[in-house]
Amino acid sequence: MKHLAFKRGALILAVLLFSSILLSACSSSDKEKEVTPSGEAVQEQVELRLGYYSSAQTDAKMQELVKKFQDSHPNIKVKTESSPYGQFFQKLDTQIAAGNAPDVWLSDGVLVPKYAERGALKDLTDLIGKDLKHDEYYGLDFNKDTNGKYWGVPQGIQIGVLYYNKDMFDAAKVAYPTTDWTWDDLKAAAEKLTLDSNGKYATDAAFDGKKVKEYGLTFFSITEGWMPVLKSFGGGVLDPTLQKSIINSPENKKALDWIVDGMNRHLFPTPADLKSFQSNMAPFPSKAAAMRIGIYARTMDANNAGLNYDVTLLPKGPDGKRFSPVIANSWVINKKAENQVGDAAWEWVKFWATTDEAQKEWASLGEAVPVKKSVANSEQFLNGKPANKQAFLDSFEFAGTLDVNAVWSEWVGKFNESINRAFQGEIPADQALSTADKDVQQVLNEFYKK
Amino acid sequence: MSHSKLRKTVSYIVMTISSLIMLLPFLSTVFNSLKTYAQFTSIPPKWIPNPVQWSNYSEVWKLGPFSQYISNSAIVTVLSVIGGLLSCSMVAYAFARIEFPFRNTLFMVVLGTMMIPAVVLIIPQFVIFQNLAMLDTLTPLWLIEWLAQPFGIFLMRQAFLAIPKDYEESAKLDGCNPFQIYWRIFIPMCKPTFATLAVFTFMTKWNEILSPAIFLTSKENYTLPIGILSLGGQYNGSEQYVVAAALLSLIPILLVFLFAEKYFVQGSNSAGVK
Repeated sequence: MKHLAFKRGALILAVLLFSSILLSACSSSDKEKEVTPSGEAVQEQVELRLGYYSSAQTDAKMQELVKKFQDSHPNIKVKTESSPYGQFFQKLDTQIAAGNAPDVWLSDGVLVPKYAERGALKDLTDLIGKDLKHDEYYGLDFNKDTNGKYWGVPQGIQIGVLYYNKDMFDAAKVAYPTTDWTWDDLKAAAEKLTLDSNGKYATDAAFDGKKVKEYGLTFFSITEGWMPVLKSFGGGVLDPTLQKSIINSPENKKALDWIVDGMNRHLFPTPADLKSFQSNMAPFPSKAAAMRIGIYARTMDANNAGLNYDVTLLPKGPDGKRFSPVIANSWVINKKAENQVGDAAWEWVKFWATTDEAQKEWASLGEAVPVKKSVANSEQFLNGKPANKQAFLDSFEFAGTLDVNAVWSEWVGKFNESINRAFQGEIPADQALSTADKDVQQVLNEFYKK
Repeated sequence: MSHSKLRKTVSYIVMTISSLIMLLPFLSTVFNSLKTYAQFTSIPPKWIPNPVQWSNYSEVWKLGPFSQYISNSAIVTVLSVIGGLLSCSMVAYAFARIEFPFRNTLFMVVLGTMMIPAVVLIIPQFVIFQNLAMLDTLTPLWLIEWLAQPFGIFLMRQAFLAIPKDYEESAKLDGCNPFQIYWRIFIPMCKPTFATLAVFTFMTKWNEILSPAIFLTSKENYTLPIGILSLGGQYNGSEQYVVAAALLSLIPILLVFLFAEKYFVQGSNSAGVK
């Protein structure tokens, strides 16, 4: 009797173990099936592993474009590997460490040098020189390193302009921003636009800075915050070699004073003020800020929220210098992708950049400025909200990257640490700059001076 | 009499207020899931959605193969729970009852592995599963649980240690071998601990992000948390959909809790008996 029950227990265990092994065997044999067709009959077939980050909406569009690519390149079979943005790069680092990264992948523009300088990417200089005409594209040079080598081809471009909420300007009876504005003009307007919960503007003596309901300008971190201000004031973070900090400069001091003053007067939210919003990006679409320094992708949330807004060029610095921050999210090719696979990877990049249809389809999502100039300058891109989309294209004239190098994320983190303390009024501006200078230089030394 | 009544009233009031405070974030999540994007981001925040955007839930369903994600998560979770219970209890039984050299040292080593953060292990695991051709399948996600995880071993060992030796000895007299003792005496006597471990494993696996994010690449293999994350893009938040999807994913966990609650209670009761 006992023996029987024991047997039954053992049987259940055995069945469970067996079924689990069977399940795993099934799933792995499915995978093998995909790999085997590279037999004799289809010798020319190449399987291309294409990695990209996406949302549910963008993934559908990407799949459509992959299908079009396969139709025009019947010998290439694309295997897509997509993940949500954050997880994509986490996985990519693991894949690179394990020597298993995709053959071609979409890199955030600020991360291209990270992969390039660690030897994970293929040098695309010759291929670009051979197949792409420089004048026909925006932003090829944003992936050029200090040695003149190209490591990626932009997939879509983010470029900064000044967003303004027309309704809020009208309500405060302030004239819309113009292309002649300096940062001081912007601040003067911000003062007239900043409103407390008692309905008093910042220009009013009774204004209560602790109860701001609508800020003049929202301001967040590097791209849509301090970098454009520092650069148009003549400052910046790294020298042209991208290995030396130039943070502790009089120009940066002037720029930082300008920002801190705006925050002290509650015209711009401090990093702590931003915490009371759903996200750091929420103030403008939720009508809690009249202006924002915004990249192209921000047209999506502004349009979704149904704002009555437009855009114009970012203001000039004290000496008339302008700067528009750029992030060129790019296709990069795995260094290990050689021969047929390497060719197929380049075919995909070329298809993306040169085909009008691919460019137009992607542009229709409204996520990025098209790379191909002819498409970016077409009605299809320029029509729709905001009315002055031309401002994005005009900004390319004075656009630059965010001093992107192999340790970009690390130094930005260090820089923000000090600078945010100055924004909160915890330390004076010059102390923040000298600390940031030291910290950032240390990060650079750790990587570049081995 | 009136004194105790007063005490009761006061404690009820305190409990009601504190439970309301606890419920508030959950309620705001429910409300947020029913807002339009404009309402979701509006300042000052509007508590009650108006109009109520029920379509967020159907939209979530349209944005991705959510039934596929749910079934993937269910496969991983169920297999993990079974594997976790079996493997952890077997190892724990050995640590609790079988004499072998270096038993305590080995147990310390097992406990020590609990200190290693998951991120550190992920690259070696990735390489192993790559060599086993198991990447982009659900297998690595549950297989790992069949290999006895330290927390479960610890939990089960403590429960087994609490069983008096007398049971074991009388079973031995009746002719049971160690496996029979484990299967027929220890498992039935530690049901509440099994339930606890099952709930823990269920919750961990159902909500797991790191391993599925690293091991899976095809959309059709995504588990639910990765599916939910994929609703938001680099620039496009679509937060209201993410919230709605996250709420949907809570339902199975709530069900498991309701079902396993009596075992939790039983576990704490039986601690004092015998």
